Amino acid sequence: MPDFSSRDFAGGDMQVDLAIIGSGPAGQSAALQAARLGKTVALIEKDTILGGAGITRGTLPLKILRENALRSLHQDRLLPDFRRREDMQMPSLLAHLDEILEAHDHSLAHLLSHPRFNPPADLPPGGDQLPDHTAAPPPIVHLHGRAQFLDPRTLAVENVCGASIRVQAPRIIIASGSVPHHPAAFAVDHEAIFDSDSILSLLYLPRSLVVLGSGMIACEYASIFQALGVNVTLIDTSVQPLDFLDSDLAATFVNTFTRMGGIWVGSTTVERVSWSGFGDVQTHCSDGRIYTSEKALCATGRRANTADLALTNAGLQLNSQGLLTVDAQLQTPVPGIYAAGDAIDPAALTPVAVAQGQRACCHAFGHAGHNVPVPGGIYSIPELATVGLSAEAATRIHGRVLVGRAHFNELARGHIAGLEDGLLKLVCDAEGRRILGVMIAGEGATELIHIGQIAMQTHAEVDIFADSLFNFPTLAEAYRVAALAVIDQRRTSPPPVV
Amino acid sequence: MTSVDVMPALAPLLDYVHRQRNLDVPMLPEVASRVIQLTQHRDSGARELAALIQSDPALAGHVMRIANSAAYCPTTSLVSLQQAIARLGMDLITEIALAASISTRMFKTPGFTREVADVWRHALATALWAREISRHCRLNMEATFLCGLLHSIGWPVALQTLLDGIGQLELACDRATLLQLATLLMRPVGLSVLEQWNMPAIIIETVRYRDDYRAAPSGPRQTLLVNAAAALATHMLHPEELPLASLLQRQVLIDLNLYPDEVQALLARTPELRQTLEAMRA
Repeated sequence: MPDFSSRDFAGGDMQVDLAIIGSGPAGQSAALQAARLGKTVALIEKDTILGGAGITRGTLPLKILRENALRSLHQDRLLPDFRRREDMQMPSLLAHLDEILEAHDHSLAHLLSHPRFNPPADLPPGGDQLPDHTAAPPPIVHLHGRAQFLDPRTLAVENVCGASIRVQAPRIIIASGSVPHHPAAFAVDHEAIFDSDSILSLLYLPRSLVVLGSGMIACEYASIFQALGVNVTLIDTSVQPLDFLDSDLAATFVNTFTRMGGIWVGSTTVERVSWSGFGDVQTHCSDGRIYTSEKALCATGRRANTADLALTNAGLQLNSQGLLTVDAQLQTPVPGIYAAGDAIDPAALTPVAVAQGQRACCHAFGHAGHNVPVPGGIYSIPELATVGLSAEAATRIHGRVLVGRAHFNELARGHIAGLEDGLLKLVCDAEGRRILGVMIAGEGATELIHIGQIAMQTHAEVDIFADSLFNFPTLAEAYRVAALAVIDQRRTSPPPVV
Repeated sequence: MTSVDVMPALAPLLDYVHRQRNLDVPMLPEVASRVIQLTQHRDSGARELAALIQSDPALAGHVMRIANSAAYCPTTSLVSLQQAIARLGMDLITEIALAASISTRMFKTPGFTREVADVWRHALATALWAREISRHCRLNMEATFLCGLLHSIGWPVALQTLLDGIGQLELACDRATLLQLATLLMRPVGLSVLEQWNMPAIIIETVRYRDDYRAAPSGPRQTLLVNAAAALATHMLHPEELPLASLLQRQVLIDLNLYPDEVQALLARTPELRQTLEAMRA
């Protein structure tokens, strides 16, 4: 079996088929893909544990906090007189985080040490000869260190003790992730004013929190803290939060957030955020309003984590948004150097990063790779999930589309669970047959989305949901309800004959 | 008489220290008088008072002790000075600081004033470095600052208690032995004080597991940070005790995953931190 081994830096320089910088979702999937193709891989990770800082500092702890926030909301519903303990300690809300991170690290190490060769049918023919899948894949070598380009084909990797080796590879994938961007006017000090990397290291729940931003990260933190009893004010220049979603999904988020007590302040420019020196944070807006809170969170964007890479030695530079520019095959302007994940798009969700890592690797070795629908999940309260095109995007591209909707409060399961919000939308073509996208808002969205994703992946028509049987009562029945709505539109308003 | 020869003769003294149930944390007279001065001008002095509280381990400890008492926080445990100020308000904190300054015993350590001042200075330097390292690692530093400030609180308390015991028991003890005993008793006395004060678990753990941070039950991160900060503080204040080459070999810096240039970037902040330290101690 392949050996996912940590190299002793005294072992000297090495040559591999592919060097990958970063062990997050994009880096992992690229490494596994390359190993399945029989290639030698060096996976370089700066941190002490595998998985990528986005996962270990963000995704995993945030999901744990979210679970506890949901339990707290559930208690509120069951026990009207329930009062959360004042100043609940964050460590208790993030209980078992260290164990979960360790388990994640071990499972990744196990996964990376057992990359299977797939049967040839999994990969379209092309490029390099596929390996004999009865032989053991070559090892993925894990280097715990920090990489820096010496030239487009050579990396210097330094460990924490200062020892250094050279890694030479004809193909390099930059999957180094992203770091929070701090506008100069927001004096992030990790004491009163936080970013998305430091907020979860707070030891207690603040009484009030201003969250700056309106993207996925800002909305996740804002709604989760609000659910935990923190008085949250979400402020941004955009008219509505999550403006990349259909407006009715974004409205579902805003309705739930404000019903929990949160305040959304849109179309507002923040001029500066500062700490008084003791006691509170003041957020000054250009319209003269000042919001006072105990803490503030700056979640206005992220930039590629490439400061240590010495990109110029490889002939690379960041674009005006602080990201790496790549083509459709994820190759940078320098042939043989690819980039994937947050380093090219900080809004990249985990499945998107995984797909990108695979695609970059396949192209690097001359394979066509897979092309499957990629789901997206936003772990706010409520959850939001998408696959394919939104109704608004589909209309822009295709013109006429048919949209079927199902509201959770119309389903038996929705009633039982007390779900006031919740919406599933099926976006179909003008004939009302081909599924262009699925959008879901409400608890369970990130699980439910996979049903629609598989239907799209297998090119099923929307009728499959009307023809299928679902357990009763479940939220999945929303697919049937939405599909029937599309079929009804198909009958009552057929597309014009051209 | 060597220290080793003296030890059996001082068994009654050690027993005296061990029997003390309510260990007192004295304050420096100049700190107490500064508190009184600042509280006379509530509006203008609030910011300075907040800074003073954060600069003196004894004052910080007393304020946190009272703020965490059942009278003010019956259902919660405050983990930082910022949290205490946010929860109770600066007016109340001012009253607490004033009460602590008036009612707390002052240090009476003739002949050891410099040593006590050195330990307090090192504690503040540790707190400042803990804040700096936390900031570099993009971690919240509130509790880490307080952990750094209180991590060596046991030493001056041990010294004061030993001097009290020597006086009461009419013993003789040379200076070197006394300093050695204070160092020996620093951790148990410090833990005793913090537990007596009902300090948050995270602060107690920092003292208990300072040299064995991997064993800290609530996660080693705070303890690791304070351990590293104390090393940087020692290097800054007493480079002859911990030269740069030795500092860079410290396992704690490797366990923090600090790369050599990151350590150098932190060390480049030394002049600024030294300036802050002197300003806070002035």
